[in-house]
Amino acid sequence: MAAEKGTALILRVTDFSETSRIVVMFSREHGRFSALAKGGRRLKGPFESSLDLLSTCDVVFLKKASSGLDLLTEARLVHRFRPEPNQLNALYAGYYVAELILGLTEDYDPHPEIYDEAQKLLESLADASNLSIKLTRFELIMLRECGQLPDFETCMACGAELTEGRLFGFWPGQGGMICPACQREDYSQIPVHAGTAQLLRRMASNENTAWSRLIPSPQQVKELRAVMLAAVTHTLGKRPNTLKLLRFQ
Amino acid sequence: MPRAIEPNHHAYGRHVGLLVQQLAALPGIGQKSAERLAQHLLDCSEEEAAALAHAILDVRRTIRRCSVCHNLTEQETCDICLDSRRDQGLVCIVEQPRDLLALEATGTFGGVYHVLGGRIAPLSGVGPDDLNLATLIRRVKSGKIRELVMATNPTLEGDGTALYIVNLLADEPVKITRLARGIATGSVLEFANREMLSDALKGRQSF
Repeated sequence: MAAEKGTALILRVTDFSETSRIVVMFSREHGRFSALAKGGRRLKGPFESSLDLLSTCDVVFLKKASSGLDLLTEARLVHRFRPEPNQLNALYAGYYVAELILGLTEDYDPHPEIYDEAQKLLESLADASNLSIKLTRFELIMLRECGQLPDFETCMACGAELTEGRLFGFWPGQGGMICPACQREDYSQIPVHAGTAQLLRRMASNENTAWSRLIPSPQQVKELRAVMLAAVTHTLGKRPNTLKLLRFQ
Repeated sequence: MPRAIEPNHHAYGRHVGLLVQQLAALPGIGQKSAERLAQHLLDCSEEEAAALAHAILDVRRTIRRCSVCHNLTEQETCDICLDSRRDQGLVCIVEQPRDLLALEATGTFGGVYHVLGGRIAPLSGVGPDDLNLATLIRRVKSGKIRELVMATNPTLEGDGTALYIVNLLADEPVKITRLARGIATGSVLEFANREMLSDALKGRQSF
């Protein structure tokens, strides 16, 4: 067993025995992986109480050749997740990041872009403003990286570009939008105004636009969240637990 | 890790196999330890084995949650809540009964407790409704509580749970404090980690 090194974000910590813990981590180089931290509950030892949810640590671990858990031998805290003080919403947004990565990535499948964006988002939660835009951007990146990004450009029914029309529909089961001409009562669709559709297109684009400066209207926030909840729920196969606690203005 | 043996296929028969299976289901007990414990029980007298079996059954039948603080007790209300020498206006909030035991072992806390029964951990499906918060609110609203001491674990989820409670009780006239953090007495600064030192500096006290 060769020792592997990396910097990892901690996604889940579960007590295993009197002194040990099982830690699920996500690193830029290795993707998501689970490891047993023997003595991980003790204050002293090679982990120095660094194994906390959403902390970033420099880790050394022994990769198991079989399907068993890896063995975490060292962890040194790089930085701890510090949401805006007294802002539960920022804390829950951090939990949501962990839930999305846990649910939408596979073991040992590295996604450097997800790792970088997750770190940027967690850092930005020191200021809990504009949460809907920050989370929508991250959700779109997650969906793109796992090949499930909805199509916001063309109609899922007729294939026409969505340039004309005031009210479109988002159809999660088909993975995209429907133009006004193709909408039918029996389609389970979410109404999306043209402005919100434009926002979604800009935020989903690969180009580094100034998305963080976008200030959506309350109606757009409502529509953005409805679309993203439907898309994420469809991809995960269940409604994310943490979204029950998150509040968007 | 040794593989679990089906009870019916155990070398000593089905009954020993079942015993090993039950013991191996306990936290921290693996297959090998379960085999050793079963071997010990086979070697001990019938009275000793019966005493252990009765102790387990008695615990299950007699222990319940205190109706006031949710600590484990044999009566309707636990000894701590009934103790008139304790300050009933000072309530320490802990996640689990074992945290209460750890604080009691210090012998320095003269108030009473409230056991939440866990912490808010949405990733594990534990939300505020799963904790003993309704009884806490009732206790605070009774007006008899002067101060709440947050003694949830100093983790992200523990701190998050404490913050949730603080927000929940924001309109109540009760003082809310939390346990201090920092370096342990008897340790040396040189070997304290960055976080401990940082917490100790932030929470420094006047002489």
